[in-house]
Amino acid sequence: MTEGLSGLVLFTLTVAALATALILPPGVAAAYVLARWRGPGKGVVETVLALPLVLPPTAVGLVLLEVLARDAPLGRLLDGLGVDVVFTPKAVVLAGAVMAFPLLVRSARAGFEEVDPRLVAVARTLGDSRARAFFRVTLPLAWRGVLTGTLFAFSRALGEFGATVLVAGNIPGRTQTLSLAIFQRTQMGRDGEALGLAGVAALLAFGAMYVAEVVSRRRGARVRT
Amino acid sequence: MMELSVRLPLARFPLEVEARFTSASVAVMGRSGSGKTSLLEVLAGLRRGARGRVVVGARVLLDSAARVDLPPEARRMGYVPQDALLFPHLTVAQNVRYGARGGRGARVDEALALLELEPLLRRYPATLSGGEKQRVALARALASAPDLLLLDEPLAALDVALKERVLPYLLRVRDEARVPMLYVTHQLGEARALAREALLLDGGRVLAAGAADAVLGSAARGVLAAEGNEEENILEGVLERPEGHGPRLRVTAELALWVPDGPGVVTGARAAYAVPAEDILLSTGPLSGVSARNVMAGAVTALEPAGPGGCAALVDVAGHRWVVRLTQVSVDELGLAKGMRVHLAVKSAACRRLR
Repeated sequence: MTEGLSGLVLFTLTVAALATALILPPGVAAAYVLARWRGPGKGVVETVLALPLVLPPTAVGLVLLEVLARDAPLGRLLDGLGVDVVFTPKAVVLAGAVMAFPLLVRSARAGFEEVDPRLVAVARTLGDSRARAFFRVTLPLAWRGVLTGTLFAFSRALGEFGATVLVAGNIPGRTQTLSLAIFQRTQMGRDGEALGLAGVAALLAFGAMYVAEVVSRRRGARVRT
Repeated sequence: MMELSVRLPLARFPLEVEARFTSASVAVMGRSGSGKTSLLEVLAGLRRGARGRVVVGARVLLDSAARVDLPPEARRMGYVPQDALLFPHLTVAQNVRYGARGGRGARVDEALALLELEPLLRRYPATLSGGEKQRVALARALASAPDLLLLDEPLAALDVALKERVLPYLLRVRDEARVPMLYVTHQLGEARALAREALLLDGGRVLAAGAADAVLGSAARGVLAAEGNEEENILEGVLERPEGHGPRLRVTAELALWVPDGPGVVTGARAAYAVPAEDILLSTGPLSGVSARNVMAGAVTALEPAGPGGCAALVDVAGHRWVVRLTQVSVDELGLAKGMRVHLAVKSAACRRLR
């Protein structure tokens, strides 16, 4: 199914996009809560959410593998539903999602923190419920942060290797992404081919990061009070 | 029309307000940090932890005993905060339309016209001046068809350039849109011009509440003079131009004021002018041969302390009460006393048009 370069690129872009889409709702929600909530234990929650950034990706992959194992509660539940994750494309999406999550949350949170809560208060006196004020005021004012975070997350998922290789394996035509293919070609001594793939990966990463840069640099150009 | 019985712990003291108002325009006065803004926020439903009872018109907004505490979106309060807080991602037109939903569209046009915002419709808040922002915030609140406008004074009013002052627009809102308002201000002159009733706060407590004339007297002056607030007389009327003369503001049948001529001075137009209490000359004898064009005869109705070494003489001229600021030394030298006949002289150049 992923025969040839175009298949490989398409598969890599697809799983990265799915991973990003998967974490977007919970990531934005977590970012908003972290930006507004002043309760106890906030530091601990923030640290836990940031862990995938600094842990060895293989360690994260190992944890995922354990959680999804047939004898673990979640694995048993999924097995009972007939859902197979480990060593399938679903595992590639999952690994990318988990590794990209903290990047999304960090940028989106910075975006939400820039929104004056008193603007939301005014929106509510004008008849908005909490939810309506979020979509009419908070999100439009924080969108650059959210978009930047989304692009960072996408870029991270695009190049994910360590967690993916543990939980999804490196199966050509099934779970193999660009970064996994580079590793495989190198192992096989096909360095030239690996280098070519690395060039393609660099091009994709450049595209996503460039857009993220442009968006974040223009942050607030118009919306200063 | 409005019943307040509010308790809210603040950082330095508790806010404790008990008051009832029957008119549609109430001024809230007090020095900085006396709890004025907190009171507005309690009414708007933006302060959790407020207890007591708030009734506006026939609607109960807060009744702790009955566990009623309406959320801000259900209170129909038109809140205009001190710093305007316009939505920075929306144009002026979008800001004003923000709260106008469900058949309130007509209110938008009315608010835009009343506050003269048509030339600004497509601008973003970042490009507006302070006074323009305040007008947009006022229009936004008006367009949401509120039961009550809650207006927090934009800065110390006298520091704001004349053309930036919102007062003339507030007079129009009161007289043309006829929306009830609660107006926080530092300016005694503004409060007198705008309000029928007043509430004077000090340290979170009510110092005086009731009819504006009674509340905005010596107690208010004492509280506000300590902050070095200047005082001004505000006169509203219609501009006229008698044959062979310059423009004159007709305030009442008996009272008119010569005012400076200028491009915006149009015969027949309604206008408001401010005369600083310090710019008025007071004489115990008849005035003749003075250059000031406005010379009026009246009677001293009260002498009140106003700031260190200062005194405010209240002078009744044909039913209109003027405030004249003098030093205590002048009062002693002139032998001023209540009931004395005096003359006031005001240069037309001291009459400054608002807006």
